Amino acid sequence: MEQEAPAQPGSVPAVTLRRFELADVDAMMEWASDPEVTAFMTWDAYTSREAVLAFLRDAVLPHPWFRAVCLGGVGDGHGPHRPVGAVSVTPTDDACRAELCVLLARAHWGKGVATAAVKRAVAAAFGDLLGVERVEAVVDVDHAAARRVLEKAGFQREAVLRSYCVVKGRVRDMVVYSVISTDPLVE
Amino acid sequence: MEVQQGGAPAPAAELVVSLREFTLSDADAEAFMSWASDPRVVRFQRRDAYEHVDQARRYIADHVLPHPWYRAICAGAGAPLPVVGSISVKPGPAEDGRLFRASVGYRVAHAHWGRGVATRAVRAAAEAVFAAWPWLLRLEAVADVENPASQRVLEKAGFVREGVLRKYILLKGRPRDMVMFSIVVDADTDRRRQQNKPDGP
Repeated sequence: MEQEAPAQPGSVPAVTLRRFELADVDAMMEWASDPEVTAFMTWDAYTSREAVLAFLRDAVLPHPWFRAVCLGGVGDGHGPHRPVGAVSVTPTDDACRAELCVLLARAHWGKGVATAAVKRAVAAAFGDLLGVERVEAVVDVDHAAARRVLEKAGFQREAVLRSYCVVKGRVRDMVVYSVISTDPLVE
Repeated sequence: MEVQQGGAPAPAAELVVSLREFTLSDADAEAFMSWASDPRVVRFQRRDAYEHVDQARRYIADHVLPHPWYRAICAGAGAPLPVVGSISVKPGPAEDGRLFRASVGYRVAHAHWGRGVATRAVRAAAEAVFAAWPWLLRLEAVADVENPASQRVLEKAGFVREGVLRKYILLKGRPRDMVMFSIVVDADTDRRRQQNKPDGP
């Protein structure tokens, strides 16, 4: 998902989260149709705008917590409210537990955007989702960049779950990370 | 020879443990109550203790009989062997319509704790489902961090401890830390499948 550069003072990106709109379909195509972005996802890269629109309408808009990741910075060539990625926190069958997923367009990898988006999402979702005390994320054991994002965002590594997911037809071991509502916030 | 919880060797008589399907009989419903009504057993389950055998009867009819894999644990002496617990394996979750995982849960009446009943039942259930379901790649189980007896059962039954998942499951309204265990194909079961004899203690 992202190759993180070493942190530099004053370089933390300004990231805001907002609800998606159907008008965001073209922005979403940028990451949803990119096989490098979807390489570690259980779903294949989208090939049609209509399919992304249907996904927005049927899965994203009614979702309990799904947000567009927007950059507040200037000079990046996009308007301040055009999404560069998505972050979702999905409640599970156990009301205390929700699963986080984050995706970013490749042009914005390596700048700390995903880490900032995850930190904001966790803080907001704990407040918005009643009863959720655990936000977890499962990451492919080979997805080092995603693991670094979670670690920098304050998630704690708990276990390797063997043969846990099927990704692009292959059974994969996944690392499970979590943040608990009572964990100290990461600056 | 089975080893009890306290580490002392079991009595010389061989403990027989077998699994069978439940029936709608009164006897099975009453046996069900022996653990389902016991707060010591139900403590680590989502459900509250049953108070009337009708609840057990209804549960057997509505949930147990239609279940993909639910068995009565029979153990002790006599013919037929008395029902002393239950064990169930739930397939899923599926991914893109593909099944490859399942999870196991079990309960044993308190009077039969400490004699290796659960260990044998879990072992037998794992072998049965891996044989019955060729698609099964991962069989998992969770045990409350405050339930070391159940953790030992899973370890002795051949499960590998993977880690502690914090605030993972809601038990009676409270989020509980759970230890996750699993057996996966190729890593663990191929060795076991090649053995001619059941595993020792």
